[in-house]
Amino acid sequence: MAPVVDRLKTEYEGIVEFRLINVDTDPQGAALMAQYNAQYVPTFVLLNTDGSVSQTIVGAQKESVFREALDALK
Amino acid sequence: MVRVTTRWALAAAAIAMVLVAAAGCSADGGAIDNARFKDLQAEGARIVDVRTAGEFAAGHIPGAELVPYQGIAQVAQGWDPTQPVVVYCAVGDRSAEAANVLRSMGFERVYDLAAGIVAWDGDIIAGEGAVATEPPAVQTSELPVLYEFFTDW
Repeated sequence: MAPVVDRLKTEYEGIVEFRLINVDTDPQGAALMAQYNAQYVPTFVLLNTDGSVSQTIVGAQKESVFREALDALK
Repeated sequence: MVRVTTRWALAAAAIAMVLVAAAGCSADGGAIDNARFKDLQAEGARIVDVRTAGEFAAGHIPGAELVPYQGIAQVAQGWDPTQPVVVYCAVGDRSAEAANVLRSMGFERVYDLAAGIVAWDGDIIAGEGAVATEPPAVQTSELPVLYEFFTDW
């Protein structure tokens, strides 16, 4: 997934903040996963500016799925 | 008489092939679905979650023990090779690798949950054993946020 995420991160710079959490090394990884009910990796959680969850994507998906989810953020 | 003999020979060969195939499947285990997983669980199989500690803490199948797949060869040295072992991960990739490792170590009955815990339809224990940490940072960005939870595997 890294190439897709890297590409989208560059493309959406200034529009969406990407926070990449390595659950093996990030001390808050497990707590963050629990907070957003994420049980698997990779999981992508998209939050609107008010902090509400817009969409959760589990597993590797097509780039178009991510684009659609990113464009739907408010 | 020749034709009858030939028929019997063909029938015997066909039966033998079916028996060999069936024996191979049951002896070596293999990829299984949720129903078979539950049967093996009831049978007393060792249930092994080969994901990361973070994934395990977020939610796992009751009775599973955590052995991240990178370390399974070392940990499994102390296991009974005759006890059936069922491994699972998120979507089936890591568990398939772990199952191959166990088979190469001589484990007789090794099964892997083909579709992983993502497709699991049974109970999940969530939060047990979660690592105590500071409360997650509140989102302070003025922008929408995409979190990606990943591992290095």
